[in-house]
Amino acid sequence: MASSDYSSPYGPSSSPDGHSSPIPNTDSSPPIPPSTNGGRRRRRRTPTPNPNSYQTPTRSSIPPTSPLSNPFSTPRRRGTPSTPLSASDAGDEFSDPADPTPVFVWGTNISVPDVNAAILRFLRNFRGPHDDPDSLEQGKYMRAIDRIIQSEAGESVDVDAHDVFDYDPDLYAKMVRYPLEVLVIFELVLMDMVARLDPSYQKHIQPRIFNLKSSVSMRNLNPSDIEKMVSVKGMIIRCSSIIPVVKEAVFRCLICGYYSDPVLLDRGRINEPTRCGRQECLALNSMTLVHNRCSFTDKQIVKLQETPDEIPEGGTPHTVSIIMHGKLVDSGKPGDRVEITGVYRAMSVRVGPTQRTVKSLFKTYIDCLHLKKTDKSRLHIEDPMECDDNSSTKRTASEDDSLDYEDKVEKLKELAKQPDIYDRLTRSLAPNIWELDDVKRGLLCQLFGGSAVKLQVGTSCRGDINILLVGDPGTSKSQLLQYMHKLSPRGIYTSGRGSSAVGLTAYVTKDPETGETVLESGALVLSDRGVCCIDEFDKMSENARSMLHEVMEQQTVSIAKAGIIASLNARTSVLACANPSGSRYNPRLSVIDNIHLPPTLLSRFDLIYLILDKPDEQTDRRLAKHIVALHFENPESIVHDVLDLPTLTAYISYARKHIHPQLSEEAAEKLVCGYVEMRKRGNFPGSGKKVITATARQIESLIRLSEALARMRFSEWVNGKDVDEAFRLLEVAMQQSATDHATGTIDMDLITTGISASERMRRENLLTATRNLVMDKMQLGGPSTRLTELLEELRKQNSFEVHLNDLRNALSTLMSEGIVSLHGDSVKRI
Amino acid sequence: MVGPLYDFVANPFGAVRLSFEQAVAASPADDPVAVFAGKDWGALDLFRDFLLEKGGLSQVPILDASSRQWIQPNSLVRFRGMVQDMLGKELYIGAFQDGSNWRTNKYSDGALFPMPAGCQSAYESNLWERLLLHCVPVPGHNSWATHSTPPQVFRNVMDNSMYEHGEKRQRDEGIVENNEHGGSPSSKKQKEGEHPCQLNHSSQRSLVQGGFSEPRNGAALSCVIKMYDTPECDLKLNDVFEFIAIYTFDPELVAYKEDADDLTDDLLDDPLMHLPPSKVPRLHCLICRKLAIQDFVSSPLSVELPNMIKGIRGSLLRHLTQVLGNDGLAAECLLLHLLSRLRARVDAVSVGKLSLNLTGFNGETASIFGNRITSAIQSLLPFSQYIPLTVDYLNTATLQPKKNNQTGRLIPGVLQLAQGTHLTIDESHLQPGNLDSNGVHNARLLKKLIEQLSVEYDFEFYTSEMTADVQLLILSDGKSNIMPADLVLPFCPNAVNSIANPSPEELQSWRWYLDTLRSLPYSSQPDLHQMLQDELVAAMREDRSLGCQQLNRWLTMARLISVSFGDGELSLEHWQMFKEIERLRKERIK
Repeated sequence: MASSDYSSPYGPSSSPDGHSSPIPNTDSSPPIPPSTNGGRRRRRRTPTPNPNSYQTPTRSSIPPTSPLSNPFSTPRRRGTPSTPLSASDAGDEFSDPADPTPVFVWGTNISVPDVNAAILRFLRNFRGPHDDPDSLEQGKYMRAIDRIIQSEAGESVDVDAHDVFDYDPDLYAKMVRYPLEVLVIFELVLMDMVARLDPSYQKHIQPRIFNLKSSVSMRNLNPSDIEKMVSVKGMIIRCSSIIPVVKEAVFRCLICGYYSDPVLLDRGRINEPTRCGRQECLALNSMTLVHNRCSFTDKQIVKLQETPDEIPEGGTPHTVSIIMHGKLVDSGKPGDRVEITGVYRAMSVRVGPTQRTVKSLFKTYIDCLHLKKTDKSRLHIEDPMECDDNSSTKRTASEDDSLDYEDKVEKLKELAKQPDIYDRLTRSLAPNIWELDDVKRGLLCQLFGGSAVKLQVGTSCRGDINILLVGDPGTSKSQLLQYMHKLSPRGIYTSGRGSSAVGLTAYVTKDPETGETVLESGALVLSDRGVCCIDEFDKMSENARSMLHEVMEQQTVSIAKAGIIASLNARTSVLACANPSGSRYNPRLSVIDNIHLPPTLLSRFDLIYLILDKPDEQTDRRLAKHIVALHFENPESIVHDVLDLPTLTAYISYARKHIHPQLSEEAAEKLVCGYVEMRKRGNFPGSGKKVITATARQIESLIRLSEALARMRFSEWVNGKDVDEAFRLLEVAMQQSATDHATGTIDMDLITTGISASERMRRENLLTATRNLVMDKMQLGGPSTRLTELLEELRKQNSFEVHLNDLRNALSTLMSEGIVSLHGDSVKRI
Repeated sequence: MVGPLYDFVANPFGAVRLSFEQAVAASPADDPVAVFAGKDWGALDLFRDFLLEKGGLSQVPILDASSRQWIQPNSLVRFRGMVQDMLGKELYIGAFQDGSNWRTNKYSDGALFPMPAGCQSAYESNLWERLLLHCVPVPGHNSWATHSTPPQVFRNVMDNSMYEHGEKRQRDEGIVENNEHGGSPSSKKQKEGEHPCQLNHSSQRSLVQGGFSEPRNGAALSCVIKMYDTPECDLKLNDVFEFIAIYTFDPELVAYKEDADDLTDDLLDDPLMHLPPSKVPRLHCLICRKLAIQDFVSSPLSVELPNMIKGIRGSLLRHLTQVLGNDGLAAECLLLHLLSRLRARVDAVSVGKLSLNLTGFNGETASIFGNRITSAIQSLLPFSQYIPLTVDYLNTATLQPKKNNQTGRLIPGVLQLAQGTHLTIDESHLQPGNLDSNGVHNARLLKKLIEQLSVEYDFEFYTSEMTADVQLLILSDGKSNIMPADLVLPFCPNAVNSIANPSPEELQSWRWYLDTLRSLPYSSQPDLHQMLQDELVAAMREDRSLGCQQLNRWLTMARLISVSFGDGELSLEHWQMFKEIERLRKERIK
C-alpha cells in the first residue's frame, strides 16, 4: 500500500529536501480545471486512505517549466482547490475555485503578472540612498546582477528587505505573506533578466532576502507564521554533516541497459522502479542506480537555539531546526549567533506505512534563505565585510523598531550629557556592593572598552581591557563578577577550578552520531566580543592558564589537533578574580607571592586590583545601614538614583556600537608626558638602581582606558581629563598591586618578573657576602661547615637580616657556579 | 438539561466533542473553527463546573505508577508533578472536517476519527499549537503529603471498569489506595479491611523507620503533559502543578516509534522520541493549578490566635528538643532554619535564607541523631531530600541538570528541586579521598547552592542560573567547608532519649504552623532601624571578623524569631532573644 502511494507520480511533496519541483502556476497558465482535480480526488479515495498526502495537483498537469534548484518551489498545499474544505473555506476571498480569472495563485492574493512586474520594477529602478536618483547609472540591484554575470561566480543576489519595503511596501507584504510564490516569481524574473543580459549565462540566480523589518523571537513562532517569511535570531548549537541529496536519479536496467527517465525525489525518497520501463523488456527488479548520472545538492540541518538573554527566567531555551541548502551549507558553526531569514514550514510526522492511525502532529522547521552572523554587542568595525556596505550598517542601527529605538537613543544621549554620568554609572554598577568605587570604575572601563586598532601589517592591537581582582575572601569579588556577567552582552562565567584548557579555548571532539571530528568552541571563544569572567583564577591548572597567554594579547585561539588547524577569534575582555595563595592577603609578600600566577600572564592584565578588608568606622556604618535596609525595606525601594540594568546595558551597547573615540591632541600630549613621568619615577635620587615603573604595555592600557572613559560620555574625542582619570585608575590599581613593599615605589618589575628591584638587589648583596665568606673561611677541600654556623657568621658580618632560606638560595647559586657542594646541612668548598 | 450526556471522568472526550460541536454550530458559518485556535470553546467551563463546583474532583483518580495499571486510557486523571523540562511547542491539526462534521484533535494524540486524507491539504488554517512539558513526581515528596488529599471516591463507572480488570487487580492488591469510603457497596465490600487508614499509617511509618533509606521515588512515574492555551510565561521550570488531564495511550503510536529510523526523522529529531509513550504516559491537560506548600498540608486550623501559635511553637520546640537529645539551643536553631525562606534576592545577596550546619556528628551520634533528624523533618515538611555525602557520591552523582542538545532534553540532576524543598546533607560519612573533576564540579555546585540558592543548569554552550529556594541542613563532624552554611552550631546532645510518637493531630498542627509562618509577610517599623544599625556598628567594632554575611544572618535570625511567634515585625524583645541565642552559640563554639 505504501509503495503504491509513493510511486504515484503526483505524490505528496511535503519534503524539505531541497528537491526541485516544478513551479506551480507561475507561468500564468490557466489553473487546472476543477474537473481534473475532482478526478484525482476520486482516485485518491481508494480503499487505502492515504494518511498524509498533500496532493499537489498542479504537478502532473503542468509540465516542469525549469528544473530550478530553489528549495522553495514546492507547490503550496493551500493551492489544492478540490477538497471540500476549500469550498467552505470560501471566506478566504482569494480561493474561489470556480473563479474564472486565471491570474491568481491559488489561495493567495498573488497575481502573477502583477508581482512579476513589481519585482521587475524594483530590480530595475531601485536606487539606494547613496545613489543619485536622477543619474543614469544603474540601480543597486542591477549592478549586483551585472557583477554576478561578470564574475560568473555568484548564484544568488542578496536582497535587502528594507529596500523592497522602501520601494514597494505592497510587494514586501506579499513577499512576507506568500514567500513561496513570490520567491519563485522573483527567481523567474531574475533568470529572465540574466538571460536577456547575457544569454550564455547558465547558472540559476536565487534571490536571498534578508534584513526583514521585524524579527520574531523563537518563542513566538506560532502556526500563523507557517509558510511565511520570518527572521529569527539565535545561537547555532548543532550542525549535521552535509547530506548530499539526490535531486534526480537515473536508473539503468541490468538486463537491457535501458536508462530510465530521471526520477524525482519524493518525500525524501527515490523510488526505485520495480520494472524496466522499456516495453520490450519489462524485466522485474532489474533497475540499478547510475550514480554519475544523478544530480545532487547539499543539505544540512542546523539546530538553532535561543540565546541566553532571550530566555525568560525559569524557562528552558527553545530550539528550532533550520534546513540549509546549497551554498548556505556550512555558513554557520556551532556557537555562532546568527540571524536567519527563511520560510517557516511544517511537515507532517510520517506514520509508518502499516499504520492506520493518523498522526495529527507536524514538525516545524525553517527553510533558510539567508544567514547573517549577528552581534548585537558591538559594531563590527574591524570587519571589512560589514564596512563596505554602508547602507547595510546603517540599517542595522535601526533594526530595533525605528521609532521606539530613536526614542531610546535620545534618552541615552540625554543621560550622557549629564555632568555626573561617570559617577552615576559607577554607582549603578553593582549598587549592592559597597565601596570599591575605584574597582567599579575599572570594571566600567572594561565594559565600555577601548577601540581595537588594526595595523596595516595585519597585526592588531586589542581594545579589550583585562582586569584581575585579587582579594581577601568575602570581599564580594565573586559578586562583582556575577554582576559583570549579567551586564555584559556576551558574557561567559566560568570558574577556574572547573575549567580546563580546552573548555576555555576550543576542543576537537568526535561527533557521536557521524563519527566526524568537530571543533567545539570553549568559553573564551564563545565570549568573543564580550567579557569572560573567570572566578578562582588562581585555582586554575597551569595548563589552562598557559592557554590564556595567546587569548589575552593576540586575542585568538589557535588549535592544531586531529587534522584541524584553525585560529579562532577570541576578542574577549578577561575579568578574573583570584584569592591570595594563603587565603588571606599577606601584605608583606609581593602580589606574585600572594597569587601564584606567572608574571607573564599577570602583565597582560591592564588593571590589577587588590580588594583588601580594611577597618573603617564610616564603612561600617554604611554597611550596617545597607544591611538593615536590605532586610527591612522593600528591596526595590533601596536602589535609587542609579540606572537600572536594562538602561545600563542599553547605554553600554550603544556606546560600544556607535562611539569610537579618537585621541585629541591634548590627550596625546598628556599621555606622553605622563608616561615619561612614570618611567622617570623609577630613578629616585640616592639610588643607582633602575626601577622600571612603566612598560609599553602600560601605555597601551592607558590609551584603552582613556578611550573607554570618553565612550562613557558618548564623546568622539578623548580629552585631557580622560587621560588624567586613566592615569589615576592605573595608579590606584598599580599602587595596590605593584608597590614594592620594601621601598614603597611602584615597580613594574614586580609584575613582569615577580621580584622587585630592591629584592633583587638584596639577593645580590647576600650572594656576594656569602661568596666572600666561603672564600675567606673555608679551605679548598677542607672539612665541611654546618649551615647554621655560616648563618651566624654572616649575621655577624653584615648589618642586614639574613634568613636561612635566603642563605640556601645563595648557596645553591654558588653550587651552580661550582664553588661549593651542599649535602643536607653541611657545606663543603670544592 | 436533565443530566450530562457523557461521563466526565470515564469519557472526557465526550464532553470535548459535544461542546466542540455545539460551539461550531453556534459560530459564524464561513469559517467555524478558525476562531477556536488558541482558545477554549467552552469545554473547559464544563469541566471546571463539574470538577470544582459539583465536587467532581474527588472522583478523578490520581495517576501514579500503581494506579496506571488500571486507569483506562482516554479517561480523566489527576497528576501532581514538577515541571522537569519544557520540550517546546508542537503543532497539530486542531480541527478537520469529516464529511460534514467538524472534528477536533485537541486533547488527543492522534485523531479519534480517521482523518480523511484530503483534509490535510487545507491544514494550515487549522494548525494549532500546544506546549509540551515533561513532569516528574516532586523529588523528595514525603509519603504523608502524597496521601493528604481526601480519600478518593470512585463512581460506579470506575468501579465497573475495575471489575473488568478484577483478576488483575487481585494480583496486585494494594494498588487501590484510600478506597475505604468507596462509592458502590459492592466494591467497598471487596476492599474493606485490607487497607488501613493510609494517612496515619504512612506518617507513623516514616517516623519509625527513618524513611529516607527507602526509595520513595522508586516507582516514579513521569508524564509528558500537553498544555493547551496556556502562555508559556505562566509555567516555569521546577514549578509544582496539579494537572487534571486526559490520559491517553495509543498502542499503535507506540509501535510506530520503533521503526522511526528514517534519516530525516533523525535529523529533525524530536525530544519525545526518547520518552516512549509506553513508559511515559501522555496527558492532555484540561486544567492545571500551581501548587504551593500549603496545598500539601492538610486542614488549616481555624484558630490563629497568637497564644495558639505560641502553643504550637512550644510543642514543636519540645518535640525537636526531644529529637535532638535535649539540645534546646539546637532545637531553637533548627526551628528557625525550618521557618526560613528566600525572601528577596537583591543582586547577588539572598535575603531570608538560613542554612544550618550542625557540627559534632561523628560515628555514634551521626547514626542515631542523623536518622532522627531526617525522619523528623520528613514528617514535618512535604518535600525533603537526604544526601549522604561521600567522596564516592561526589564523584559519581550527577547533581547538575544538563541539557543534552543531541536529544533535546534536560537531563535531571539531584539538584533540580522544587521550590521549598528541604535538603539534608550528611557529611558525617565523608572520608578523606580524591575528588575527580566531576567531584570537584559537584562540590562547587553545592557550594554555590548554599551561598546563593541557585543552581547552574548546563546548557552545553553556556550555563543558566535557576533559583532554587531550598532549605539546607548540613550534618558534619567539624565545620563543613564544602557547604559553608550561614549558621554553624556544635551539636551537644546530652541524652539518647526515646521520642514520644506525636499524634497525627499534633503533626498536622506543626505542619500547618511551619507552612503558615514561613509564608508570613514581613512588615517593618522604621524606628527600630537606628537601634539595629547602632547595634551592628558596635558589634563590628568589637569583632573585626564580622562580615556582611554574618550581619545578614543576624538580622535574618532575629526576624525568624519574631516570625516563629507569628509576628511579622521585629520587636526589641525578639532581638534580645536573638542576642541570647547568639551568645549561647558563641560560647559553644569556644
